Amino acid sequence: MKYILMMNGKKSDFERYARWSREDLQANVSFMRTFSKELKDSGVFVSTEGLGWPSEARLVRAGNDGEPITDGVFPESKEFLAGYWIIDVENPEQAYKMAARASQAPGAGGKPANMPIEVRPVLSGHADLGL
Amino acid sequence: MAGGLRLQDESADGRRYNDENSIGEKDMKYILLMSGTRAGAETYHASPKQDINAHMAVLHRINQDLAESGEFVATQGLSEPKEAKVVRGEKNGLPVTDGIFPESKEFLLGYWIVDVANADRAYAIAGQISAASQNIPIEVRQFAAHEAKSR
Repeated sequence: MKYILMMNGKKSDFERYARWSREDLQANVSFMRTFSKELKDSGVFVSTEGLGWPSEARLVRAGNDGEPITDGVFPESKEFLAGYWIIDVENPEQAYKMAARASQAPGAGGKPANMPIEVRPVLSGHADLGL
Repeated sequence: MAGGLRLQDESADGRRYNDENSIGEKDMKYILLMSGTRAGAETYHASPKQDINAHMAVLHRINQDLAESGEFVATQGLSEPKEAKVVRGEKNGLPVTDGIFPESKEFLLGYWIVDVANADRAYAIAGQISAASQNIPIEVRQFAAHEAKSR
Protein backbone atom coordinates (compact mmCIF):
# COMPACT_ATOMS: atom_id res chain seq x y z
CA MET A 1 0.00 0.00 0.00
CA LYS A 2 1.51 3.24 -1.11
CA TYR A 3 1.03 6.36 0.98
CA ILE A 4 2.06 9.95 0.45
CA LEU A 5 3.23 12.02 3.44
CA MET A 6 2.85 15.71 2.74
CA MET A 7 4.24 18.77 4.46
CA ASN A 8 2.13 21.83 3.84
CA GLY A 9 2.53 25.42 4.94
CA LYS A 10 1.28 28.91 4.39
CA LYS A 11 3.50 31.53 2.80
CA SER A 12 4.08 33.01 6.25
CA ASP A 13 5.35 29.62 7.50
CA PHE A 14 7.87 29.47 4.67
CA GLU A 15 8.99 33.02 5.43
CA ARG A 16 9.47 32.11 9.08
CA TYR A 17 11.45 29.04 8.06
CA ALA A 18 13.72 31.20 5.90
CA ARG A 19 14.58 33.25 9.01
CA TRP A 20 15.65 30.29 11.16
CA SER A 21 19.22 30.38 12.42
CA ARG A 22 21.81 28.50 10.43
CA GLU A 23 22.15 25.89 13.20
CA ASP A 24 18.40 25.28 13.28
CA LEU A 25 18.28 24.90 9.49
CA GLN A 26 21.22 22.51 9.56
CA ALA A 27 19.63 20.43 12.32
CA ASN A 28 16.40 20.24 10.31
CA VAL A 29 18.16 19.29 7.07
CA SER A 30 20.26 16.71 8.86
CA PHE A 31 17.14 15.18 10.40
CA MET A 32 15.46 15.01 6.99
CA ARG A 33 18.49 13.27 5.48
CA THR A 34 18.55 10.73 8.30
CA PHE A 35 14.81 10.20 7.93
CA SER A 36 15.11 9.53 4.18
CA LYS A 37 17.95 7.11 4.88
CA GLU A 38 15.85 5.29 7.48
CA LEU A 39 13.04 4.94 4.94
CA LYS A 40 15.47 3.55 2.38
CA ASP A 41 17.14 1.18 4.85
CA SER A 42 13.79 -0.22 5.94
CA GLY A 43 12.79 -0.81 2.31
CA VAL A 44 9.67 1.39 2.29
CA PHE A 45 11.09 4.36 0.37
CA VAL A 46 9.54 5.15 -3.03
CA SER A 47 10.34 8.81 -3.70
CA THR A 48 10.70 12.22 -2.13
CA GLU A 49 10.72 15.75 -3.47
CA GLY A 50 11.07 19.22 -2.04
CA LEU A 51 9.30 22.08 -3.79
CA GLY A 52 10.45 25.62 -4.55
CA TRP A 53 9.19 28.63 -2.63
CA PRO A 54 5.52 29.66 -2.81
CA SER A 55 6.58 33.02 -4.27
CA GLU A 56 7.50 31.09 -7.42
CA ALA A 57 4.19 29.25 -7.62
CA ARG A 58 1.86 30.04 -10.52
CA LEU A 59 -1.73 29.08 -11.06
CA VAL A 60 -2.48 28.11 -14.64
CA ARG A 61 -5.80 27.87 -16.41
CA ALA A 62 -6.54 27.30 -20.06
CA GLY A 63 -8.16 30.24 -21.80
CA ASN A 64 -10.86 29.83 -24.47
CA ASP A 65 -8.19 29.58 -27.14
CA GLY A 66 -6.38 26.88 -25.16
CA GLU A 67 -3.48 29.21 -24.30
CA PRO A 68 -2.35 29.12 -20.67
CA ILE A 69 -3.33 32.01 -18.42
CA THR A 70 -0.97 32.31 -15.45
CA ASP A 71 -1.61 34.00 -12.15
CA GLY A 72 0.64 34.29 -9.11
CA VAL A 73 -1.89 35.64 -6.63
CA PHE A 74 -3.02 33.30 -3.86
CA PRO A 75 -5.10 33.88 -0.73
CA GLU A 76 -3.03 34.24 2.44
CA SER A 77 -4.71 31.17 3.89
CA LYS A 78 -3.52 29.01 0.97
CA GLU A 79 -1.54 25.97 2.03
CA PHE A 80 1.38 25.25 -0.23
CA LEU A 81 2.95 21.85 -0.58
CA ALA A 82 6.49 22.10 0.81
CA GLY A 83 7.58 18.57 0.08
CA TYR A 84 6.50 14.96 0.21
CA TRP A 85 7.58 11.39 0.69
CA ILE A 86 5.93 8.38 -0.96
CA ILE A 87 6.34 5.14 0.96
CA ASP A 88 5.21 1.59 0.36
CA VAL A 89 4.06 0.01 3.62
CA GLU A 90 1.94 -2.87 4.90
CA ASN A 91 -0.81 -0.86 6.58
CA PRO A 92 -1.91 2.69 7.41
CA GLU A 93 -0.59 2.44 10.98
CA GLN A 94 2.92 2.04 9.63
CA ALA A 95 2.42 5.12 7.44
CA TYR A 96 1.17 7.11 10.45
CA LYS A 97 4.19 6.01 12.45
CA MET A 98 6.55 7.29 9.74
CA ALA A 99 4.56 10.52 9.52
CA ALA A 100 4.89 10.99 13.28
CA ARG A 101 8.63 10.57 12.93
CA ALA A 102 8.70 13.25 10.19
CA SER A 103 6.54 15.46 12.38
CA GLN A 104 9.25 15.45 15.02
CA ALA A 105 11.81 17.11 12.77
CA PRO A 106 13.52 19.84 14.78
CA GLY A 107 12.11 23.32 14.36
CA ALA A 108 13.26 26.75 15.54
CA GLY A 109 15.40 26.38 18.65
CA GLY A 110 16.13 22.74 17.78
CA LYS A 111 12.98 21.43 19.50
CA PRO A 112 10.70 18.97 17.69
CA ALA A 113 8.34 21.09 15.62
CA ASN A 114 5.50 18.53 15.72
CA MET A 115 4.30 19.92 12.41
CA PRO A 116 1.23 18.26 10.94
CA ILE A 117 1.88 15.75 8.16
CA GLU A 118 -0.99 14.91 5.83
CA VAL A 119 -1.17 11.21 4.98
CA ARG A 120 -3.15 9.76 2.05
CA PRO A 121 -3.10 6.51 0.12
CA VAL A 122 -1.98 7.05 -3.46
CA LEU A 123 -3.78 5.33 -6.30
CA SER A 124 -1.78 2.39 -7.52
CA GLY A 125 -3.55 1.25 -10.65
CA HIS A 126 -3.82 2.96 -13.99
CA ALA A 127 -7.55 2.32 -13.92
CA ASP A 128 -8.31 4.89 -11.26
CA LEU A 129 -6.96 8.00 -12.93
CA GLY A 130 -6.37 6.87 -16.47
CA LEU A 131 -2.67 7.36 -15.88
CA MET B 1 8.73 23.72 7.92
CA ALA B 2 9.79 23.34 4.34
CA GLY B 3 12.46 20.82 5.19
CA GLY B 4 11.85 19.76 1.63
CA LEU B 5 14.61 22.11 0.64
CA ARG B 6 17.12 19.30 1.01
CA LEU B 7 15.07 16.19 0.90
CA GLN B 8 17.00 14.71 -1.95
CA ASP B 9 20.29 12.98 -1.91
CA GLU B 10 23.19 15.11 -2.88
CA SER B 11 25.97 13.39 -4.74
CA ALA B 12 29.66 14.18 -4.57
CA ASP B 13 29.56 16.52 -7.54
CA GLY B 14 26.96 18.64 -5.82
CA ARG B 15 24.21 17.84 -8.30
CA ARG B 16 21.05 16.27 -7.05
CA TYR B 17 19.51 13.10 -8.27
CA ASN B 18 16.11 11.60 -7.72
CA ASP B 19 15.28 7.99 -7.43
CA GLU B 20 12.67 8.35 -10.13
CA ASN B 21 14.89 9.74 -12.84
CA SER B 22 18.25 11.25 -13.45
CA ILE B 23 18.66 14.89 -14.36
CA GLY B 24 18.05 15.10 -18.07
CA GLU B 25 19.37 17.46 -20.68
CA LYS B 26 16.58 19.91 -20.05
CA ASP B 27 17.05 19.98 -16.29
CA MET B 28 14.06 22.17 -15.47
CA LYS B 29 11.75 20.09 -13.39
CA TYR B 30 8.30 21.37 -12.56
CA ILE B 31 5.48 19.83 -10.63
CA LEU B 32 1.91 20.47 -11.79
CA LEU B 33 -0.48 20.13 -8.88
CA MET B 34 -4.20 19.56 -9.21
CA SER B 35 -6.07 20.39 -6.01
CA GLY B 36 -9.65 20.65 -4.91
CA THR B 37 -11.95 20.73 -1.92
CA ARG B 38 -13.56 17.61 -0.53
CA ALA B 39 -16.93 18.75 -1.94
CA GLY B 40 -15.37 19.24 -5.37
CA ALA B 41 -13.82 15.78 -5.30
CA GLU B 42 -17.14 14.23 -4.26
CA THR B 43 -18.99 15.99 -7.08
CA TYR B 44 -16.42 14.69 -9.53
CA HIS B 45 -16.67 11.12 -8.29
CA ALA B 46 -20.47 11.29 -8.46
CA SER B 47 -20.44 12.33 -12.13
CA PRO B 48 -21.47 9.80 -14.84
CA LYS B 49 -18.96 7.06 -15.49
CA GLN B 50 -18.67 7.94 -19.18
CA ASP B 51 -17.71 11.52 -18.27
CA ILE B 52 -14.98 10.27 -15.95
CA ASN B 53 -13.78 7.83 -18.60
CA ALA B 54 -13.69 10.59 -21.22
CA HIS B 55 -11.68 12.81 -18.86
CA MET B 56 -9.26 9.98 -18.11
CA ALA B 57 -8.83 9.28 -21.81
CA VAL B 58 -7.73 12.88 -22.43
CA LEU B 59 -5.33 12.80 -19.46
CA HIS B 60 -3.95 9.51 -20.73
CA ARG B 61 -3.32 11.09 -24.14
CA ILE B 62 -1.54 14.04 -22.53
CA ASN B 63 0.66 11.58 -20.61
CA GLN B 64 1.48 9.73 -23.82
CA ASP B 65 2.37 12.97 -25.59
CA LEU B 66 4.67 13.91 -22.70
CA ALA B 67 6.32 10.50 -22.81
CA GLU B 68 6.90 10.85 -26.55
CA SER B 69 8.42 14.32 -26.20
CA GLY B 70 10.69 13.05 -23.40
CA GLU B 71 9.23 15.50 -20.90
CA PHE B 72 7.40 12.98 -18.74
CA VAL B 73 8.93 12.21 -15.35
CA ALA B 74 6.12 10.96 -13.12
CA THR B 75 2.45 11.24 -12.39
CA GLN B 76 0.42 10.14 -9.44
CA GLY B 77 -3.22 10.28 -8.47
CA LEU B 78 -4.18 10.44 -4.82
CA SER B 79 -7.04 8.74 -3.04
CA GLU B 80 -10.15 10.72 -2.14
CA PRO B 81 -9.88 13.47 0.51
CA LYS B 82 -12.11 11.50 2.89
CA GLU B 83 -9.18 9.09 3.35
CA ALA B 84 -6.79 11.84 4.42
CA LYS B 85 -5.41 11.93 7.94
CA VAL B 86 -3.24 14.53 9.54
CA VAL B 87 -0.51 13.11 11.76
CA ARG B 88 1.57 14.75 14.44
CA GLY B 89 4.29 13.22 16.56
CA GLU B 90 3.82 13.81 20.25
CA LYS B 91 6.40 13.75 23.01
CA ASN B 92 6.47 9.98 23.19
CA GLY B 93 6.95 9.80 19.41
CA LEU B 94 3.64 8.01 18.91
CA PRO B 95 1.49 9.21 16.03
CA VAL B 96 -1.60 11.26 16.80
CA THR B 97 -4.00 11.09 13.88
CA ASP B 98 -6.88 13.33 13.06
CA GLY B 99 -9.23 13.26 10.10
CA ILE B 100 -10.94 16.60 10.59
CA PHE B 101 -10.16 19.32 8.05
CA PRO B 102 -11.77 22.69 7.41
CA GLU B 103 -14.28 22.62 4.55
CA SER B 104 -12.17 25.12 2.65
CA LYS B 105 -9.11 22.86 2.73
CA GLU B 106 -7.69 22.19 -0.69
CA PHE B 107 -6.56 18.60 -1.05
CA LEU B 108 -3.99 17.47 -3.54
CA LEU B 109 -5.83 15.29 -6.05
CA GLY B 110 -2.90 14.37 -8.24
CA TYR B 111 0.30 15.63 -9.80
CA TRP B 112 2.51 15.46 -12.85
CA ILE B 113 6.26 15.98 -12.81
CA VAL B 114 7.68 17.21 -16.10
CA ASP B 115 11.19 18.00 -17.26
CA VAL B 116 10.93 20.89 -19.68
CA ALA B 117 13.03 23.52 -21.42
CA ASN B 118 11.44 26.50 -19.68
CA ALA B 119 8.62 27.70 -17.46
CA ASP B 120 6.40 28.61 -20.42
CA ARG B 121 6.41 25.02 -21.56
CA ALA B 122 5.36 23.89 -18.05
CA TYR B 123 2.52 26.45 -18.16
CA ALA B 124 1.44 25.22 -21.59
CA ILE B 125 1.21 21.63 -20.33
CA ALA B 126 -0.69 22.82 -17.25
CA GLY B 127 -3.04 24.68 -19.61
CA GLN B 128 -3.70 21.44 -21.52
CA ILE B 129 -4.49 19.58 -18.32
CA SER B 130 -6.70 22.43 -17.16
CA ALA B 131 -8.58 22.52 -20.47
CA ALA B 132 -9.15 18.76 -20.22
CA SER B 133 -10.42 19.10 -16.65
CA GLN B 134 -13.19 21.71 -16.72
CA ASN B 135 -10.64 24.53 -16.53
CA ILE B 136 -9.62 23.59 -12.98
CA PRO B 137 -6.59 25.74 -12.08
CA ILE B 138 -3.28 23.86 -11.98
CA GLU B 139 -0.57 25.05 -9.61
CA VAL B 140 2.88 25.01 -11.18
CA ARG B 141 6.00 24.91 -9.03
CA GLN B 142 9.64 24.29 -9.68
CA PHE B 143 11.56 21.85 -7.51
CA ALA B 144 13.70 23.09 -4.66
CA ALA B 145 16.81 21.39 -6.03
CA HIS B 146 16.89 23.59 -9.07
CA GLU B 147 15.96 26.67 -7.12
CA ALA B 148 18.75 26.07 -4.61
CA LYS B 149 21.23 25.69 -7.44
CA SER B 150 20.24 28.97 -9.03
CA ARG B 151 20.69 31.02 -5.87
